[in-house]
Amino acid sequence: MDGFLFDVKVLELADEKGEFCGKLLAGAGADVLKIEPPGGQATREIGPFYHDQVHPERSLFFWHYNFGKRGITLDIESPPGTALLKQLIAEADVLIDTQPLGTLEKLGLDWNALQALNPRLTYVVLSPFGSSGPWRDYKATDLVHLALGGQMMCCGYSPTDDGSYDTPPIAPQMWHAYHIAGNQTFIATVGALIGREMTEVGEMIELPIHQAVSVCTEIDVPHWIYGQTPCYRQTGRHAQPAVGPEVQFPTKDGRYAIILPNPFPGGYETLVGFLESKGKAGDLNAEHYKEPKNRRGRVFAEHFADIQAACVADFDMEDIWHEAQELGIPWSPIRLPEENPDDIQWQTRATFSQVEHPELGESYTYTGAPMLPNQCAWRQGPRAPLIGEHNRTVFCEQLGLSAEELADLQNKGIV
Amino acid sequence: MGVKKRRPLEGVRIADLTWLLAGAGGPRLLASLGAEVIRIEWRDRLDFLRYMPPFASKRKRVQHLSSIGGHVSAFRTKEVSEKAGAMDLTGLDAGKIQSVNRGGYFNDINAGKYGISLNMKAPQGRELFKKLVAVSDVVVEAFTAETMQKWGLGYDTLKAIKPDIIYMQQPGWGYKGPYVKYASYGPIAQAVSGLTEQSGLPAPHPPAGWGFSYMDWSGAYYCAMTILMALYSKKRTGKGQYLDCSQVEPGIGMTGTAVLDHAVNGRHYQRTGNRSPYTPAAPHGAYPCAGQGAEKGRWIAIAVTSEEEWQALVRVMGNPDWTAQERFASLAERIKHQDELDRLVSAWTQEREPFGLQERLQAAGVPAGVCQTAQDRIERDPQLKHLNWLLPLEHAEIGTWPIKDIPFHFATGQVSQGGPTDRAAPCYAEDNEYVYKELLGLSQTEMDAFQDEGVI
Repeated sequence: MDGFLFDVKVLELADEKGEFCGKLLAGAGADVLKIEPPGGQATREIGPFYHDQVHPERSLFFWHYNFGKRGITLDIESPPGTALLKQLIAEADVLIDTQPLGTLEKLGLDWNALQALNPRLTYVVLSPFGSSGPWRDYKATDLVHLALGGQMMCCGYSPTDDGSYDTPPIAPQMWHAYHIAGNQTFIATVGALIGREMTEVGEMIELPIHQAVSVCTEIDVPHWIYGQTPCYRQTGRHAQPAVGPEVQFPTKDGRYAIILPNPFPGGYETLVGFLESKGKAGDLNAEHYKEPKNRRGRVFAEHFADIQAACVADFDMEDIWHEAQELGIPWSPIRLPEENPDDIQWQTRATFSQVEHPELGESYTYTGAPMLPNQCAWRQGPRAPLIGEHNRTVFCEQLGLSAEELADLQNKGIV
Repeated sequence: MGVKKRRPLEGVRIADLTWLLAGAGGPRLLASLGAEVIRIEWRDRLDFLRYMPPFASKRKRVQHLSSIGGHVSAFRTKEVSEKAGAMDLTGLDAGKIQSVNRGGYFNDINAGKYGISLNMKAPQGRELFKKLVAVSDVVVEAFTAETMQKWGLGYDTLKAIKPDIIYMQQPGWGYKGPYVKYASYGPIAQAVSGLTEQSGLPAPHPPAGWGFSYMDWSGAYYCAMTILMALYSKKRTGKGQYLDCSQVEPGIGMTGTAVLDHAVNGRHYQRTGNRSPYTPAAPHGAYPCAGQGAEKGRWIAIAVTSEEEWQALVRVMGNPDWTAQERFASLAERIKHQDELDRLVSAWTQEREPFGLQERLQAAGVPAGVCQTAQDRIERDPQLKHLNWLLPLEHAEIGTWPIKDIPFHFATGQVSQGGPTDRAAPCYAEDNEYVYKELLGLSQTEMDAFQDEGVI
């Protein structure tokens, strides 16, 4: 089976800001060529590392975020490097650029020049804050983005009884600012490729990560717009104008489970029946609580949470949630990421895949397709490129350099 | 040059049977790219978000409502819930909900869409739906897994009606697999995928999880992404396809580094709070700031990843003596003594106002940003304002309100959250006239009959 984007050629000049988008495009079937500076992209320095060996070919971060791409090295700022880059751009459908703003412009490759070189090119610029505006030159990291974007003020632990906090806002790990930006960049990019089928010309897309992250919260923004009401962070559940009932409970084995209220009619009764079947419904079957009006307010919410907590505390995390789900109760274990490959659901759907690292003589479990396609394939390999792994293929076979010319560029530190 | 701006998804029509955010957010994004999204609803089981606060309080009656389905806009929530099968409103004060068209959150999530009423449970309703399928490119739904099959509207049927149809199904855990009946909402998808466990202070603190449904947004992104991939493939090959999506798997895809760390090194993920788990950095966290009253409880995130940034921070702090101590002399030493370092940095930040501090740190080249609230982003953030992140869009009943625009800026294509309707969310059944008459060719008499029979 072909991939969805089987005839799309992508060039990637990206660090952690854009590597996730490139990975998704590769997964969807595009041919993604990663252009790294000689010696390798700086993201090869991000851990964790294979057997904790800090080495540019051993970064598991790099492995994950560059899965399925090909890789070359090129000093694009050297004149021969710029010339080769232009040749590649002339044949590409998409160029993803997360370099410091103005890098390509300085090489004479602004949007007009790129269009002249390749009118069908979609040029995607991801930058922390956008190419203009008062914060244009602000520096950001994942943490800083999640602070400014509003995620941190939504996430964390509940306030103490007096309403103040003794814990900081929390930035969920890991790399979500770039996941959020990468997902939305993918949407914009493929949208532009579809538009090109009609217009026959490319597009320039700018995506400020700060804006992408800022639109990715839920009710805090509408609550302010429609009611000037602030939302307060609370453990394991939505930030809300008031502290709401707990949904996260410790299990017998020292882990946690989450039980959400089933919002459909009868959802409450089903949950009480289930608790009862475990001998853990407390006094919830009392006539008093059968009246919906007696189940409103904070006192009942806390009482109900205590009863659920007492039930959950009697079982291990993976124990009874299936039974609950069979009855339509939204209940799930709070798993570690590495616990999912063993789950039969994901095995059935081939959500994870084994990826070969021939140079190590090993295969490892990777996360795979984000859904189950039926008529198109999600990419199954290869593993992330080694430094300059496809230099010969690209520079000699594709662009027509001789082996001597390539060796000369290597000696000069250009590839 | 006076060239008419084109919408990238011009000519693409989507029959949208989703709801909530994880479902309805995907078609929202496709509307921003120009797809004609027709949101299908039925009054007996409306989207919960139509009942969810906040509500637009200012009552605004709009003249043309009577001509576009006044019979339903007059439909009050209480009547809807009493009618049958609607949401359990136990926790809500139904009296405060004036109309199913006033929800602010719904207004944002469904901006740019058309809206019709259609009773899919009625056989005649399903026949009408088939007519819509015949003129659509995509059918997307987020029902429980077997619903469409049960209605005789599985992929084979849809394909027989429209051979190149793209059909995307998004039950919480996916269609294929033993958990096909399981329920998922954002917090469930976050919990099972591992994202909840990865958020929060180190044990023995419990996971902090997510203060919003990150996996609802992610569900929306992957819904849009998957449909776009299939649309591209259809443009190039002429073929449609069936896609089995889940809300959980995109979350799993974002935990890949931790999965690999375990596969390769046998290591289990351990939470690090706001500290950088894998990029050497210190100080790296949220630090308390000065503030009274409404400004109480403010924090600033500071992330120092290099010697140069550390020196800059030291200068902004006014070169205090403690920074010269041996235990802070290198990044490795600073990481080793992070508890003490955080205490000292906090003592400095908590005397200072957050936004002034942010400006001084950034001017010196230190990555720093205030932990912004919604109010900050809406009223204060000059960069978001510069980027026009909120777009005023009109809603027929509640008037014009700011809607979050999409964050991608196209140089030539026409792309914005107003979409082809150039408005915020539809009122319930607002576009019956357009869809049933113009698109499907029904007469007024036929429409009236369907309305009387409870079909539309």
